[in-house]
Amino acid sequence: MSVPHIGLYYFGALSLVLVGIYGVLVKKNLLKILISLSIVETGVNLLLISVGYITGRSAPILSEGIGPKQAVDPIPQALVLTAIVIGVATTAMALSVAITLYEKYGTLNIEEIRRLRG
Amino acid sequence: MNGQYASLLVALPLISAFFVPLIKGLGGRAIKYYLTLITALQAGVAAWVFKTVYTTGKPIIVMAGGWRPPVGIDLYIGHFAALFVLIVALVSFFMAIFSFDSVSTEPTDKYAMLFLLLMLGATGMIATGDIFNLFVFMEITSITAYALTAYNKTGEAAEAAMKYIVLGGIGSSFFLIGITLIYGSTGTLNMAQLAQLAGSINPTVIKVGLSLLVFGLAVEAELFPLNAWAPDAYQAAPHPVTAMFSAFVVKAGLYALARLVYLFSHAAGWDFILKLLVIMATLTVFAAEFSALRQRDVKRMIAYSSISQVGLIALALSVGSQLGVQAGVFHMINHAVVKTLLFLTVGYVGVKVGGTGIENFSGLGRKMPLTAFALTVGALAAVGIPLFNIFWSKVWIIIASIEQGYAWEAGVVLAASVVEAVYYLRLIHTMWFGGWDGMRIRESLPLGTIALFLVLLILAIGVYPNPFWTLAKSAGTDIFNVSRYIANVPLMGVGP
Repeated sequence: MSVPHIGLYYFGALSLVLVGIYGVLVKKNLLKILISLSIVETGVNLLLISVGYITGRSAPILSEGIGPKQAVDPIPQALVLTAIVIGVATTAMALSVAITLYEKYGTLNIEEIRRLRG
Repeated sequence: MNGQYASLLVALPLISAFFVPLIKGLGGRAIKYYLTLITALQAGVAAWVFKTVYTTGKPIIVMAGGWRPPVGIDLYIGHFAALFVLIVALVSFFMAIFSFDSVSTEPTDKYAMLFLLLMLGATGMIATGDIFNLFVFMEITSITAYALTAYNKTGEAAEAAMKYIVLGGIGSSFFLIGITLIYGSTGTLNMAQLAQLAGSINPTVIKVGLSLLVFGLAVEAELFPLNAWAPDAYQAAPHPVTAMFSAFVVKAGLYALARLVYLFSHAAGWDFILKLLVIMATLTVFAAEFSALRQRDVKRMIAYSSISQVGLIALALSVGSQLGVQAGVFHMINHAVVKTLLFLTVGYVGVKVGGTGIENFSGLGRKMPLTAFALTVGALAAVGIPLFNIFWSKVWIIIASIEQGYAWEAGVVLAASVVEAVYYLRLIHTMWFGGWDGMRIRESLPLGTIALFLVLLILAIGVYPNPFWTLAKSAGTDIFNVSRYIANVPLMGVGP
């Protein structure tokens, strides 16, 4: 199986991170900001996976014909599983807070949610 | 007893948190008694660990599942971790008692659960010896902190929590990118092995990776560009939670920051990170002090004061000498004591008088004499008046920075103290000489006892600083002396 150069993966993952950060900084709608946060997390997870990639090897699942010598580094994959779970928890927490915000302020525009300042 | 029992520090709050739904059937008070019991038990375990570490002089290494590091994850409970795990447990215990009076919003069972998980997260961040495990504990801490910030269910609380979530989310992503870069160039996540391999990493990777780790932790450690959430969250969170944020959540972040930065002290390009930290710390101090000056809400004012003190700690930690780290640790201890007292008393006034605006403190000296007295002692200590504890740690920070040739850092500390004096003296003046509406409020006995205990502790450290300075010195050496850290962790198959 031929795969593109590894640098392409790094480039793709980091551009996802940058797209996400742009969204967090520029968007005014709270839900769009939360989606951008998820995009950042996805980008980081992809970066972590591609760091563990070794050219020409397959997924680290112990099966016929796939020993330790034929698999990629399993540690980043374990880390990414953890990171995905944490990301889901953060997103769920953020959405439940967004519901409360909408109930109290009647809007999701972050320029109108400004009672705390100074 | 076997040192492996120290894993109870993490296991106990985790298991007890998930038993809360069973206690729920017994009613709301039962949950608060349960919370007090568990935090007291945790304090007992922490006291045993503290005694063991300081009498044997050797750190306790807990190996998860019996696997030796770097294959298994280890908990490293050295002099610093033993001391701060004890502080975490004691502050949690005090705040569990304070929760009886101050937390009445339902559902209190969720509150107890989140409270225990927050304690667990901070304990884990301080104790862990694995960089990814640190990330997981950091996320446990921050997700429970988001939930606790939003706990009061008001619009302000949700707004503060949302700011915290967005900044925390960005911070944790930065942290994970940092871990990725460092894992990619060393192939290990164990802190001791990372320190061993630090010299062989490419300087650019160190600069970028470590800066990302620093930025990620700066959210928890409340350093300048990423601390905009802190005053809002402090103001909106329930009173005991605010005290916990200031007393140990931010300390866990600062400790992790200092530990990671000093782990790589043999790496090329390390000076760059120290310079970055110095800049961030100085800006934190100035931004927070000048914001504190114009606050009308006392809780928010003390929140800003807390942030500026954190900046001073970061300044001391980034001096880059052993004395600097020791002074920083000493300031951490003092700051934990003083800010627990201040947030306890201010929160108590908020509960009893019905608000924390400056007008609620008018005539407090006659309305609630004991609380006003404790608040006055706390305020004088925070300014750094001699005979109070923070005076000594500020002196040591100044000595450490002058010794390293950073005379202007001493100027920053002194300038911050002057600004602090202005707003704290304004508060003290309002309390004792402001108009009194003729009301007397009965003060509760357990909270009065805790406040008096903290006042006595402040005065004891202020008058006899030496035993505490010795504690801080051994804890600071634990962070600074990386070669001893490496030697203490029994790495399997690598090194001698």
